[in-house]
Amino acid sequence: MSFLEVAHVSKSYSGAIALKDARLDIAPGEVHALMGENGAGKSTIIKILAGVTAADSMAATIDGKPVTITDAQESYRHGLRFIHQELNIVPHLSVAENIMLGLPYPRRFGALVDWRKLNAMARAALDKLQVSHIDTRIKAARLSTGDQMLMKIAATLISAGDNMARLYVMDEPTAALTGAESRKLFEVIDELKQSGASILYVSHRMNEVMEICDRVTVFRDGQTIATRNLSDTDKNEVIHLMTGRDVKDSYPPRRAAKGEDVLLETKALRTRQVRDVDFQVNRGEILGIAGLADAGQSAVLLALLGVDRVQAGHVTIHGSPIAAQNPSAAWRNHVAYIPRERRREGLMLQRRIVDNINLPHLQKLSFAAGFLSRRRERRFADALGKKVRLKSGGMNQACYQLSGGNQQKVVFARALGDAPELLLLDEPTRGVDVGAKFDIYTLIRERSAEGAAVVMTSSDLPELIGMCDRILIMREGAQHSIIETDGLSPADLLAKFYD
Amino acid sequence: MRISKTLKTIAGLAGTMVLATGLSMGLAQAASKVAVITPYLAQPGTQFYVEGFKAAAEKNGWETNIVDTAGDVAAVISRLEDAVNQKVDAIVINVDPQQVAAGLEVAREAGIPVVGMDSGSDPLLATNVTSNGYAMAAETAVYVANRIGGKGRVVMFVFDAFPPVQIRGVVADAIFGNFPDIKIVDRVTPDVQDGGIADSRAKMEAILAANPDKGSIAAVWAAWDQPALGALQAIEDAGRSDEGIVIVGMDANPQARDAIATGGNFEASMAQDFIGIGNKAAEMVGRLLKGETIREPVVYVPTTLVTSSNVADLD
Amino acid sequence: MISLFKRYGTLVGFIAIVAFFWFNLPDTFMTARNWLNISQQISMLAVVAFTMTFVMVMGDFDLSVGSMASLSGITAALLFSQGYPVAAGVAAALAMGILGGFFNGFLVSILGILPFVATLGTLTMFSGLAFWLSDGKTIFGRDIPKTFSGFARGGVDIELAGTLALKIPYLSILALVVLAAVWLVLEQTSFGRRLYAIGGNYEAARLAGVKVRRLRMAAFALTGFGAAIGGLMYASRVASANPTQGSGLMLDAIAAVFLGMTMSEEGEPRVLATLVGVLILGVLDNGLTQMSVDSYIREILVGAIILTAVASSSVGKFRR
Repeated sequence: MSFLEVAHVSKSYSGAIALKDARLDIAPGEVHALMGENGAGKSTIIKILAGVTAADSMAATIDGKPVTITDAQESYRHGLRFIHQELNIVPHLSVAENIMLGLPYPRRFGALVDWRKLNAMARAALDKLQVSHIDTRIKAARLSTGDQMLMKIAATLISAGDNMARLYVMDEPTAALTGAESRKLFEVIDELKQSGASILYVSHRMNEVMEICDRVTVFRDGQTIATRNLSDTDKNEVIHLMTGRDVKDSYPPRRAAKGEDVLLETKALRTRQVRDVDFQVNRGEILGIAGLADAGQSAVLLALLGVDRVQAGHVTIHGSPIAAQNPSAAWRNHVAYIPRERRREGLMLQRRIVDNINLPHLQKLSFAAGFLSRRRERRFADALGKKVRLKSGGMNQACYQLSGGNQQKVVFARALGDAPELLLLDEPTRGVDVGAKFDIYTLIRERSAEGAAVVMTSSDLPELIGMCDRILIMREGAQHSIIETDGLSPADLLAKFYD
Repeated sequence: MRISKTLKTIAGLAGTMVLATGLSMGLAQAASKVAVITPYLAQPGTQFYVEGFKAAAEKNGWETNIVDTAGDVAAVISRLEDAVNQKVDAIVINVDPQQVAAGLEVAREAGIPVVGMDSGSDPLLATNVTSNGYAMAAETAVYVANRIGGKGRVVMFVFDAFPPVQIRGVVADAIFGNFPDIKIVDRVTPDVQDGGIADSRAKMEAILAANPDKGSIAAVWAAWDQPALGALQAIEDAGRSDEGIVIVGMDANPQARDAIATGGNFEASMAQDFIGIGNKAAEMVGRLLKGETIREPVVYVPTTLVTSSNVADLD
Repeated sequence: MISLFKRYGTLVGFIAIVAFFWFNLPDTFMTARNWLNISQQISMLAVVAFTMTFVMVMGDFDLSVGSMASLSGITAALLFSQGYPVAAGVAAALAMGILGGFFNGFLVSILGILPFVATLGTLTMFSGLAFWLSDGKTIFGRDIPKTFSGFARGGVDIELAGTLALKIPYLSILALVVLAAVWLVLEQTSFGRRLYAIGGNYEAARLAGVKVRRLRMAAFALTGFGAAIGGLMYASRVASANPTQGSGLMLDAIAAVFLGMTMSEEGEPRVLATLVGVLILGVLDNGLTQMSVDSYIREILVGAIILTAVASSSVGKFRR
């Protein structure tokens, strides 16, 4: 019998249908994947299960008995636990306190916190997950993203009263993790599964799903398309179910050979985060940067953008040293940047699409004296929106209303606005669905074929190999090597990250 | 969304009810309407004026509206304009008329008389009701001169930057100057940022140190109570309270009355009749409402010399 | 429909307030003369609130505007009392506003001090400076030239049908000019758009090449400039300058911008919405005085109205 079964789930937002008679059942002790393109209704059903959003209609049973989920407390009492992309941690408190947050702290003498016992309880929770490398006494801010996630999972093991955790809903848990951290998470998922809990695993990463999940349910356009045992299916079928079409090639082909002249060159570059960075990128070339988490991949881009000050060495574009060191000067020099954290660093979510796209280009959309031309603004944004195949309800829509993939396209439209000669892309397809991913790859290829140099980071190794000409490996903030991608396998690449 | 709608409705209703209550209270009688406008209602003196005025106005059956702009002088002009627009029959202010001249001109154009309560005289006012600062200063200065037998060294605390206090100093100067054997040791202007007690005390301590001999200082004349209290503290602290130094202040605030009641060096102060000023202002308004014109630009209300013999009788 | 109501709830509330006074004060409230009075009464607050919008667009705010207004009045009056011409006094006061604003911007943008703390500090500094320059005294009487104090009493005469003369006060006209200028800068220029971008997402704006530090400094300078204009208007109206006279403007200005923010879907300050906020405060003052409602009840009402407006717009957000 299923642990949780929901059926006939419907939900619409002011007329727009998010879910239509959707269905999902999860067996005890299974890892169940939920897949679908962005906008397919995955987020909506998660919010309904969490009690944050009320379904228009729904029939839910737990252990065969009908239940309701009207608010977050009720969801908690049913044993549902949520591990989100954006982790709600309190950075200034210790790991132990974060784990015990919301629960009564153990006391001494009635009033004082018993720190020793608090740490011991937190330790015990981490031990249950076989996680021994996290010190419970340090501040949570000092943990890597992966360890913070393990901390949040440990926190769910310490349950108040009888409300045992029975189902973990993990929404894109590996999006911010490195390969090694992801492996650790998979081990923890296995521990949870052994203990009898179920996991609803929401991810765009096909390989992970194939590896760790037992069954998969695919959503498309708010409806449940199919549920399959993963042992009975393969990647192509799942992609077919998700998109309604076959995706033969994940990466668009190169259109032209890379150019001869060097566009970007760094020599013995050092900033507060990286050192010994030494490379050249030609026009029409795509250079990848890879490594373990926080090995300095993003920091190389920040140095090129002028955010991190160059302490030693130098950077030249077109053979001339870069001028003022700030992002403003970089954009003026036709350098464009896609930040890693779309929501935090990329978008003004409450503002309109047109404002987000035009932000770095206002100068050329203005008359003299800085007065804006509404017409030029609209035309400019329209053209770019079309170019990136943005799906929206018009350029005046606020960005928070867009799906993740379309939000990323807005950021791309902004970056492509002024014919950039150097594109700096930090995890350009993070949290983006398969269809939108392909569009983004195509955009990168197009700009590259037009003669731009591209530098991109990614934790998706097949993506790096599929897109890049060469890959620069970073280890602990220093450049280790640069390798050609011809004939490279993800396993080969991964091996380069370690000694 | 429904919640916010309800909230708005409730707030709207509540606001309407509060307003309506105020309205019904305000319009109960079709009597003469008088607006009292002041930025200083939080200050004790002003509270008494207003109390006195309200009591008298009630007896006359007027409808009074007390407006406090909480220190904002420009708002007094705005409220004057509103009161004129509302067509009140008379207005009473307690603020420097020069600063609100813009509003007073509007009242004059509309033919609405404005009476000042201790606000300084001005051609735009029908009259100003206040205590006679010249007379008060004369009374305490003469008290000092008589107590020290017309002979001795006197310390004066003055504040010439503030006109109502400046006139007190001028009068005292004249009276002491009329006694050839009275010498002014120092004419001190204390720093009043903290009320004036602390700095006056420090200044007095310095003067005492410079004049260490017994009897070298015969009296302290202060233009208001705070410096007198500071001087008292300095004298007591220096162990010189037995020298018979006479201290007088002015305004007879509660702290000064306590000091006078103990029978120590602080011997006298002047009590203004704040309630009386309010009453008198009401009387003036009454005369104006009857159509009389008031010839005196300033109407004085008598003041009382407070000493240990009568301090207990004052309320 | 829902978003319409949410967006225009405060405007509806304002219209309801006006209708209420119109009904209860049939003879005196809805007259051209009374509205000219109101426009003049709110003009100083309006100028300070309009220019406060510059910093609040970026999610910052400026607590020092009140003491800057006092300081600007004192600066001008001191120069007048030493025999300088009106133009010199006014120019010095405005320069003081811009300088003080830049200083605020420097503290917030370059040193990275939270706006609350930085402008709380400068609030005290400006106020102390005003006291020090003036010796704590009110400067008035002969020291204030008639041309300066006359500005607040003067206006443009409008003749209707050759007889009925209405005077549109210069103070109201000045406030309208400032409104137009702020609206143009915020809504029609790339400068304004970038300020909104900073408010929308500081980090994203910086990484997209917006010169966030420089712009933040400039916005604070403009707010200081507006505070100085407001202070001069105040000094002109009361024909005197006193080191505390502007202090009431700060809270009212912030309240007005907040009231305005409840009218925008994204909760962003808009200068035209700020105008509605200022009008709500001004109309309440005017109407309640005319209805002889206790001035303390007025304060309770104003507080309740601000809370109701903000609560209803955030309740709407929470349930989304």
